[in-house]
Amino acid sequence: MMRCEEALSRLMEFVDGDLSGDEEAAVKKHLDICDRCYPRYDFQRAYLKFTRRLQDRQAAPAALRRRLFRAILEQEARHRP
Amino acid sequence: MLADKRTHDVQPGRAPRPAPVLTGDEPELDMDGFVEEALPWLDAVYAFSLRLVTGNVGEAEDLVQDTFLRAHRFWQTYERGTSVKSWLFTICRNTYLQQKQLMREQREIPAADFDARAESLSAAVAFGDSPPDPEQEFFDSLIDEEVVSAIDQLPENFREVLVLSDLGDLKYTEISEVLDLPVGTVKSRLYRGRKILQEQLREFAVRSGHLRETYFTKETTDDAV
Repeated sequence: MMRCEEALSRLMEFVDGDLSGDEEAAVKKHLDICDRCYPRYDFQRAYLKFTRRLQDRQAAPAALRRRLFRAILEQEARHRP
Repeated sequence: MLADKRTHDVQPGRAPRPAPVLTGDEPELDMDGFVEEALPWLDAVYAFSLRLVTGNVGEAEDLVQDTFLRAHRFWQTYERGTSVKSWLFTICRNTYLQQKQLMREQREIPAADFDARAESLSAAVAFGDSPPDPEQEFFDSLIDEEVVSAIDQLPENFREVLVLSDLGDLKYTEISEVLDLPVGTVKSRLYRGRKILQEQLREFAVRSGHLRETYFTKETTDDAV
């Protein structure tokens, strides 16, 4: 069984999905039974869900979209043979 | 033994997330694939730009425009099949760095200076006796402005890695390409950046009365990120 130190040292890569299948399974197995490590994992999971939602709430303003599309069209017209 | 109650949501934020779609107001261009492949990432590049310029909306909008104009001009050099999002983020960051240099405003803060600070903030997050779903309660207590402010206060070296990963949803290898850094450096900066950020968020939550100081114990999470 994986020890706490080892599981915690791989926790970031675990939540980021960067471990191999075997390593991932070993961390999962440890989290299943460890009351010390699981809350730390659970916090990191909640943190990442929060930050990804944060980006979704920051859409480019409509005025920027219009300005950008106009600029692209102008650039394309300038470079059209 | 709590195994029956536990879930293991590996890569929680990366799990099924639909690719952005066109909104219908995009221009018709002659350039093959640019509209369909590049323009859907406009919001993501905008969010990344906002954090690069630490919240200055005008600068972020100029940066986005410069990024996409450059991407449009060099679209033929984009290698099909690779991550267009990484390609756009790379252009965005390079544009930002060039503009910074031009404006002579570059003020590089060595990551090493913040190592000690990161270490001192190691008492990040741990849970003792707690109400149900404590981590969700913690994040629910925060408001976007507080989080954005905390991100903007991060040292640039940590901020750009954290934003690319935690907001931009890039993998370590993609961040490594965007920033031209070894993957190991990406991981260590992300680790430290998250640690600092999470401590800042904890302070916000405590200060605003949403969390009791004692809620987080000193028996912490040195290795939790």
